[in-house]
Amino acid sequence: MRRYVVRRVAAFAVTLLFVSVLVFVVVRVLPGDPAELILGTERDPATAERLRESLGLNRPLAVQYAAWLGGAVRGDLGTSIQYDVPVGRLIVSRLPVTLPLTLLAATFMIAVAVPLGVYAATRYRRGADYLAMVVSQLGIAVPSFWSGLLLILFFSVYLGWFRSGGFDGWASGVWSGIKSLLLPAVALGLFQAAVLVRATRSAVLDVMREDFVRTARAKGLPERRVIALHTLRNAMIPIVTVIGLQLGQLMAGSIVLESVFALPGLGRLALGAISARDLPVVQGVTLFVATTIVFINFAVDLAYAFVDPRIKYD
Amino acid sequence: MRRTVVVLVLAALTLGMVAATAAQAPRALVVQTGTEPPGLDLTATPASATAAVVLYNVQECLVKVDESGKIVPWLAERWHTSDNRNYTFFLKKGVRFHNGRELKAADVKFVVERAMNPETKHPYPRYYEAIGDIIVKDDYTITFSLKAPTANFLLNMARQGSVIYPREAVDTLKSAPVGTGPFTVAEWVRGDRIVLKRFAGYHTKGLPRVDQVTFRFIPDPNAALAALKAGDIDASLFGLGPEHVADLRKDGRFEVIVGETTNDVIMAMNNSRKPFTDVRVRRAVTHAINKADVVKLAMFGLGRVIGSNVDPLNPYFVDLAGAVPHDPAKARKLLTEAGYPNGFEAVLRVAPQYYYTVRAGEVIVDQLAKVGVKVKIEQIEWGQWLSRVWKEADYDLTIIGHAEAWDIANYANAKYYYRYDNPKFQELFKQSEVTLDDKARRQQYAQMQRMLADEAPVVFLFIHPRLVVAKKGVTGFWKDLPIPSANLAEVGWTAPK
Repeated sequence: MRRYVVRRVAAFAVTLLFVSVLVFVVVRVLPGDPAELILGTERDPATAERLRESLGLNRPLAVQYAAWLGGAVRGDLGTSIQYDVPVGRLIVSRLPVTLPLTLLAATFMIAVAVPLGVYAATRYRRGADYLAMVVSQLGIAVPSFWSGLLLILFFSVYLGWFRSGGFDGWASGVWSGIKSLLLPAVALGLFQAAVLVRATRSAVLDVMREDFVRTARAKGLPERRVIALHTLRNAMIPIVTVIGLQLGQLMAGSIVLESVFALPGLGRLALGAISARDLPVVQGVTLFVATTIVFINFAVDLAYAFVDPRIKYD
Repeated sequence: MRRTVVVLVLAALTLGMVAATAAQAPRALVVQTGTEPPGLDLTATPASATAAVVLYNVQECLVKVDESGKIVPWLAERWHTSDNRNYTFFLKKGVRFHNGRELKAADVKFVVERAMNPETKHPYPRYYEAIGDIIVKDDYTITFSLKAPTANFLLNMARQGSVIYPREAVDTLKSAPVGTGPFTVAEWVRGDRIVLKRFAGYHTKGLPRVDQVTFRFIPDPNAALAALKAGDIDASLFGLGPEHVADLRKDGRFEVIVGETTNDVIMAMNNSRKPFTDVRVRRAVTHAINKADVVKLAMFGLGRVIGSNVDPLNPYFVDLAGAVPHDPAKARKLLTEAGYPNGFEAVLRVAPQYYYTVRAGEVIVDQLAKVGVKVKIEQIEWGQWLSRVWKEADYDLTIIGHAEAWDIANYANAKYYYRYDNPKFQELFKQSEVTLDDKARRQQYAQMQRMLADEAPVVFLFIHPRLVVAKKGVTGFWKDLPIPSANLAEVGWTAPK
């Protein structure tokens, strides 16, 4: 196990280094100059030059990268060009929105999709199965910004149960925080839930054709026990794999929904930073998200061993 | 008897409560804006998103641009010039900064000298180029002596980069600017909202009308509309599209304000690139475009058709909307004369960040096709637009709104991205900058506008409308927007929510 963890951490470091080089190069290759975006169309060329100088954008790319990497290793991600605030602080200030939003969406996704997928598999090629497949197809076809707007129209404008957007913070109470994240979490989780229903259904169907399931049935176990103990447990590996991938996609998906629901999260921070060419913020957020996703993958690998005791990491 | 007394007391209490509710209009306002300011320092950013929040709400200038676009005394109660080179401003007494200190002439000197210092990276150093000496005569009197007469000096002192702030608060300009305005910045939750609180020591009695204003940043127009309909915001200031207007006008809960702005939307042609080097081609393109249809189809009929650079809020505006009318037959004739009987091909680069550029582009592409000009739309992101189109002039055609007032100078600059190089126009503009007689200057402006309409360096399309939607009972918004400030001092509730 220890050797496995060491190997994973090494792979983890290489991945992040690769991501950091990629992001660093991509944001600089993009046409568009931060100094120009700050000063706008009426800018004076000499002022733009001075600004570029003070932002350190005139130095060779390799020097800029080395300086940035040196800082990042020590935990200093630089200072936002737009806000003049340390990038690390900006990221931390957005986490109380994005993390609970992603977690809520994931909870919604798993709570809806796994039971529905299992149910559809047990009703294979019957009415309920077809219905579940049609609904999930719809969920895949509807883009999340659109389902977000529909949810706002129904629950905020028509029923008035929820706020139409914005976030007051957790200081005003846990329920008020959850209330402002619930609709975006549902909109965010809906698409991924639709994908997960299909994945769960096919994983369960595969296992249901196995000999040991037939044996379980033959020895007279009730169907509920066959599904819960024998089938689902064995179908968990592909399901957990899909969930792991989806957690990363939920984080990425929050970029769109945070705009629709006007939430001050990481996604909107990244979006604003890209259009303003706030390079340190773009790099910082990307690195943070990449780290999180690598961590999730790591957690998924560990979960395999938990789900299937035959898997050992030596 | 006892029963009567009880009934009377109860009745009095009930009436009192009803009266109190009726008399007490709400004292807080939540408004929506589409873009979050990149920072709150008006001396470091030209962003109109910053001006919307800070200008005239938090910080003010010596003089102010009023609703009609006229320059009026503000922190200076009057000014005087006898030779148009020495301007003396007499400051209003008793004006206090939010930190409690009184505004003095030395503060004005400090602020303008700081703007002139290249090290501070002020976005508009050219507005202060003409200033030679700044002399503080006493605490309330300050004289600017100019190197040469400058017709727009007063206007430059009313612009967003000329706000007055105390020297001890320079370091906090970016996140918590201090000024003399009706509101102070109470809180900025980045990504979500800015909260302004009433400044009790404001120099104009009775203002502001509310105790608190919250600016919420809602970038998505549909989300802004939903927030308005759900009652989460009291007014949408910047962000709703013209497509929402018809529906909202029918809704009895809201007041829709449609006004003028200084934002002239144009289709620029690269005057240094063939075939747009030929004035006949540029005229042909202008004749081929039906501007009324562009406004109807892309802007749902909102927006005023224009024919030259100066906007209707400018005192020198001449209406030239019909100067080069829609005439496809004439367009074809001109193209033939210029050697393009079968038209030509071109690329129209637009930035979808500004929705109207893409929509207007789609209509125009269709109209140009009818005279044989085949245009392909290429959508590029704003950062790329700035770099490729605006900076390097790497484009054939582009559509964009120029929001800055008094920007005719751009046509006198051969290096500007239009690449329009006309020495006659440049000379006329130079004269207009030093002509101080209003009548003579008005004539020069009229002449410049006619010259631009005739030479067609760009296609002047329409004025982007100002669009404010507020709950019924919220009053005091400016109808027109001659300067990009939300100007909320006079906004308040006349009736309970």
